[in-house]
Order: sequence, then structure tokens, then C-alpha cells
Amino acid sequence: MASSIAFAAQHPPVRILIGKVGLDGHDRGAKYVAHVLRDAGYEVIYTGIRRAPEEIAEAAVQEDVAVVGLSFLSGAHIALFRRVIEQLRRRCAGQVVLVGGGTIPPDDVRTLKSMGVAEVFTPGTSARTIVDRIGQLLDKRQVA
Amino acid sequence: MNVDVEALIREAGTAGPGRIRAAARLMTIAEGGSGAAVNVLGKLAGAPEPRLVLGLTGSPGSGKSSLVDRLLQHCRAENPDSHIGVIAVDPSSPYSNGAFLGDRVRMMRHAGDPNIFIRSAATRGHIGGLAAGVFGMLKVMGLAGCDIVLIETVGVGQMEIEIESLADLVLIVLAPGQGDAMQFQKAGLMEAGDVFVVNKGDCAGAAEFHAQLMASVRLIDHDRKQRGPDSVRLVSAREDDGIAELLDYLDRRRDAEADRWLARRRTRLGTHLRAAVLELAQRRLEAEWSALADSDPVGRVLRGETGLAELSDALLRHAALNNV
Repeated sequence: MASSIAFAAQHPPVRILIGKVGLDGHDRGAKYVAHVLRDAGYEVIYTGIRRAPEEIAEAAVQEDVAVVGLSFLSGAHIALFRRVIEQLRRRCAGQVVLVGGGTIPPDDVRTLKSMGVAEVFTPGTSARTIVDRIGQLLDKRQVA
Repeated sequence: MNVDVEALIREAGTAGPGRIRAAARLMTIAEGGSGAAVNVLGKLAGAPEPRLVLGLTGSPGSGKSSLVDRLLQHCRAENPDSHIGVIAVDPSSPYSNGAFLGDRVRMMRHAGDPNIFIRSAATRGHIGGLAAGVFGMLKVMGLAGCDIVLIETVGVGQMEIEIESLADLVLIVLAPGQGDAMQFQKAGLMEAGDVFVVNKGDCAGAAEFHAQLMASVRLIDHDRKQRGPDSVRLVSAREDDGIAELLDYLDRRRDAEADRWLARRRTRLGTHLRAAVLELAQRRLEAEWSALADSDPVGRVLRGETGLAELSDALLRHAALNNV
């Protein structure tokens, strides 16, 4: 029943769910981001590809995550994000921080943000930017 | 932390829509390792208990998560009213403290099943195959109405047998290619198994592996474990072969041994409470050590200004008095 000294001194890591919704199976980006977040000290719950919005929401509640990050390269990001948000609210988990990533046009980024998605990372975003921005969003949530 | 633990416990124990969310929150507190975690453990002492706590352990990639997935499928098909919990542990990085918790991927088809509660946990520096918070999570699973809880350890080597202190039955999951009879003779993990499940029965060498394991396990009549010929199983999680039979076998053992298991769980309670207190003590000790950094304790000991015994006494005393 030993525990490492480094861990005992610190706050518990923040938990983040990373997954893909819908029929798009291109998971290289999601896996990359999951890996980057792991290396930044987050506990990443990875759900894999082709999940239903209900499955993502239920997993987010059971895992009690602070952030849900969804990757889209299918073009269906608005419709699917809308359903995920609805399912999260139905489970009283509307306060989870939502982030998105993938091939999402600027107009749609604005639409997603107006729906409650806190940030959208499009192709070319650096790993550092993703980690920093998620950190900021979590800080903001703690102050609020 | 200004969370109303009592309210969460009430909500997690009812059938309302917030049950899972409240239970999940309690698990987060339980695995947080603070004084609040010990507090939750204390309040859950009298909570309902699962009828069966099954431990699954074995090397990385032997198919533990896939086997859990199949067991869930068969359990739910046979008992439509049952509630099943899964606690799946994966390793934390000793470098970044982060983790990639990927066991759930194998079980996602159950994500829409309201009677299945899957929770991933990272080891957070804990050695032994589990995470420090798993005992508390198990208690919360019981509170939330789970009849059966499956605990999947990290991928283990030869010595991580902590699962034995939590599970009624320990299943060692093996796959062909993982050694021969010499491996089966070794102390440690192989001693902790109640049931040996050779997975990947559809792969080459599975039958020979199973036969060798059977011969090794049955070589010696075990006092602690009831290892009949049925305790060594050959299955394929991928092909769904032998899983229904494995579940029947587990059910029979539960019917025969449940009373003994319940008594054993009670005797183990002291161990888990001590472990929770130790985790807490370590946290406080680390906080105390950080607070001392300015006064250069190592330098003082090296220069002979402070005795090591004196320093450790002072640390322990302060850690005991200061709540973190």
C-alpha cells in the first residue's frame, strides 16, 4: 500500500474525456490530443470512435470529468455537439467544460461557441496552445 | 472542499435521476485521498454491499477489459434486473502524473445501459495493481445499488496481488505465449488466483497452454484456495467462447461460498481503513515537508545540527496535528 512521494504532495489530477461521436473513424487527432493531455498531467478517459451522444454523456457523468473534448472530421460537428450538450443537461452535467477539435470552418466555430462550446481547436493548433487553453478554461471555472 | 457529502450519499442511495452523478462525485472524493476521502469511507461503513466482488488481473494485453465486456454482456442477458459496476484501473505516469484510461473503450457498447456503471481509475502512484481510492469506489458502487462489481487491475507482473484484499474471487487472466510451467510454479501472482482464465482460446497454442496450466495448478492441493479442475478455464473473449460457462461456474461458487466471503470482507475492513489513514498520513507528511523547505532540514541533518530521529518525530507530530 505504498504511494509515490510526488503524488501525495499534489492535488488530484483533473479528469478529461476525449472521444469521437458519429460515424467518422479518423482517430489520429483524438489520440494525439489524448497523449498530449496525458503528458500535461491530466487523467484522460478515452472512449474511442463511433460513439453515440448518449454514450459520451453517460460516460462523462460516470467518470465525473471536468472537461469533455470531442474530435470531428466528418462535418457533422454542429448537429452532434448539440445532441451531446442536450444529453449532458439531461443528466444534470451541463457545467462540464466542452472543447472541440478537427476540420471545423470559422463560421461553425462561432456557432459552436454560441451553443456553449468553450473552445475549438482547428488543424495546425500546437499542443502547447491546447494545453494552455484548457488550463485557462479550468482556472476560469474555478473562479466562477 | 465545501461539498455536502451527506446529501451526495442520500442521492446516490436513491433511485432518482441524480443517482449516478452523485455516486460519481463521491467516487471522485474517495479517490482524492484527502481527509474528505476518509470521511466518506466512514459514512459509507454501513452501506449496502454488492453480492459479488470479482477481481480480474493479469499481464497487459491478456484481455482483461475484453473479458469484462463479455461478462457484462452475459450477466445482463441472464439477469435483466441486476446492476453491475466496473472499476477499471490503469497506470498513472510517474513522470507527468497524467494517465491514459483506455479500458472503457472495450466496454463502450454497455455505455447506454442504465444498469451498468463503469468507472476508470488511475493508480496515482499506488503500487499493488490498484489505486488507493478503489476501496472507497467499491463502497460507493454498493451504495448505488450494484449487485456485482468487477474490479480490473492495471496490467500486472508477478507481484501485484493487492486485488486479493478486495475481491471475493480473483481471476488471473492469461493468454497463450505467456511462458510455460516454470512461470506457473512461481510465487506471487499465481498464488493469489482463485480462478485461472486462459483467454484468446482461438489463438495458436491456447490448448497446450491451458493443459500445462491445469497440470501446474492441480499439482498441489491448496489450503487457501479451492482449485478444482473447473478453476482453470479456456475462453475466447473475442469469439465469445466459454464465457457463459465461466459465468455459470462463478455463480455456483458464489452460491456455495457467499457466507464465507461476507465474513472475510468484514475482517478485511480494518486493513482498508488503515491503508486509507496511511495515505492521508503521507499527504500530510508531504505538506509538512514542503512547509519545512525554507529551514533546510536535509542540510541541518547533514551538518549534525538536528538528529534524524528528532526530525522525523517533529514531522510526524506536526503532520498529526495539521489538517491538509
